[in-house]
Amino acid sequence: MENSMSQMNRPATSPSPVVFLLFLALLAVLVSNAAGQTPPKSPQNIIVIKQMHFDPPSLNVKAGDVVEWKNEDIFSHTVTASDGTFDSGLIAPGSSWQTTITKTGDIAYHCRPHPNMTAHLIVQPLVGAEQHEQAGAQSTETSQASLRWRPPTKPEEFHPILVDFTAALLPLAFLSDLLGRLFRKQGLHTAGLWMMVYEAIITPFTSIAGWWWRNSEAGQLPARLIVVHEWLGTAAAVLFILLAVWRWGFHKRTITPSWTYLIAVFIALLALVYQGSLGGAMVFGQ
Amino acid sequence: MKKLVSTVLGMAMVCALGSLAHAQAPTDPQIVGIVQTANRIDIEMARLALKKTTDPQVKDFANEMISDHTALEKSVNDLAAKLGVKEETSSTAQQLKQQALQERRKLNTLKGKSFDREYASHEVAYHQTVIDAATKTLIPDAQNAQLKSALQGAAPVLQGHMQHAQQLVQSLQGGGSGF
Repeated sequence: MENSMSQMNRPATSPSPVVFLLFLALLAVLVSNAAGQTPPKSPQNIIVIKQMHFDPPSLNVKAGDVVEWKNEDIFSHTVTASDGTFDSGLIAPGSSWQTTITKTGDIAYHCRPHPNMTAHLIVQPLVGAEQHEQAGAQSTETSQASLRWRPPTKPEEFHPILVDFTAALLPLAFLSDLLGRLFRKQGLHTAGLWMMVYEAIITPFTSIAGWWWRNSEAGQLPARLIVVHEWLGTAAAVLFILLAVWRWGFHKRTITPSWTYLIAVFIALLALVYQGSLGGAMVFGQ
Repeated sequence: MKKLVSTVLGMAMVCALGSLAHAQAPTDPQIVGIVQTANRIDIEMARLALKKTTDPQVKDFANEMISDHTALEKSVNDLAAKLGVKEETSSTAQQLKQQALQERRKLNTLKGKSFDREYASHEVAYHQTVIDAATKTLIPDAQNAQLKSALQGAAPVLQGHMQHAQQLVQSLQGGGSGF
């Protein structure tokens, strides 16, 4: 104890075990939450297509709700709004399709190949607090979620949280060392060193959460994007460890990091920006 | 003219299938044979349409006929295998084949819009005939309860095809005469 206290008070010249202990404590909290209770599943609006019928034939939903159609028939069907607001295209037997309903009122829809299959959605407008609730809920999974904080339990919650750290630490590590060189400030170099170390520690966890997410969503993510994203992410985790070791070497020799190192970090930074754009495309774009 | 031909052909098919009501009631193996013949005829017609048409609506419709009637054919095959019923031919099935052959010959002589219109009108008449046969003869005469229920389950999809074909006929009417 005394030993660790004395290390904490000393200027940081070697990686303090306290940093690792803090990190492990944070990880323990995250993992215990993951093992804990799952949040209540939000009610979903599911319409089953079976034996040439939409079931239920009429469904009340709220504007902003996600509605899913599951085709359990032996034929392919479409979900086509008569006013043209949505059209699923052919949904093969055993597949499903979902959309976010934004237009209010009575929306009649039918199956294009089988015009005798008709049904409708009655879409209620949102009022007051519900509007705020919906505004906060971006993902289809949480369309019914409130603004109340819930501990993360799913990979699609862990990965974006960890990505924040990975994305913030690398540019700051780069900037600190760059400015440290330009203005000859040792304090900035110390910051650059530690941020690179934290980056190397946290990114493997970001990567693991990413793989976990990908495995739980098997087949639902765009195949080409995910292959590049998962391997670039893994490569980045390894690269950051190598950069941290390199950076540690300068610290050990008490010299300022070389321009070669700074250029390498800058290239890693560009790769990280590209990696982020791939992740964004998968979450927000088609 | 085209409409008249379709109507005559349609009526001939109604007579063919309608004669079932007066003739001896078909057996379950014969019912399976008639249903499968009807499915195969429509699949073949759709394949011909895909070869000859350039109209995207007609192509969509033909693809849908292939997909749905193949699914129906498979479900009837599975059920027949489960029930141990082996399909048998009958005079009705033979008549259906004969009329389909005539219709194919006629369709082969047409092209462009005239082909599309004839195909669409034929599909309306054909599905109407099959629905009538199913509701008036095949369903009441089916002895096995599961076969009866499967035939009842197939009626809505045939109804859907007929309505879609009617929409297609209307949509194709807007484009000038094919003759």
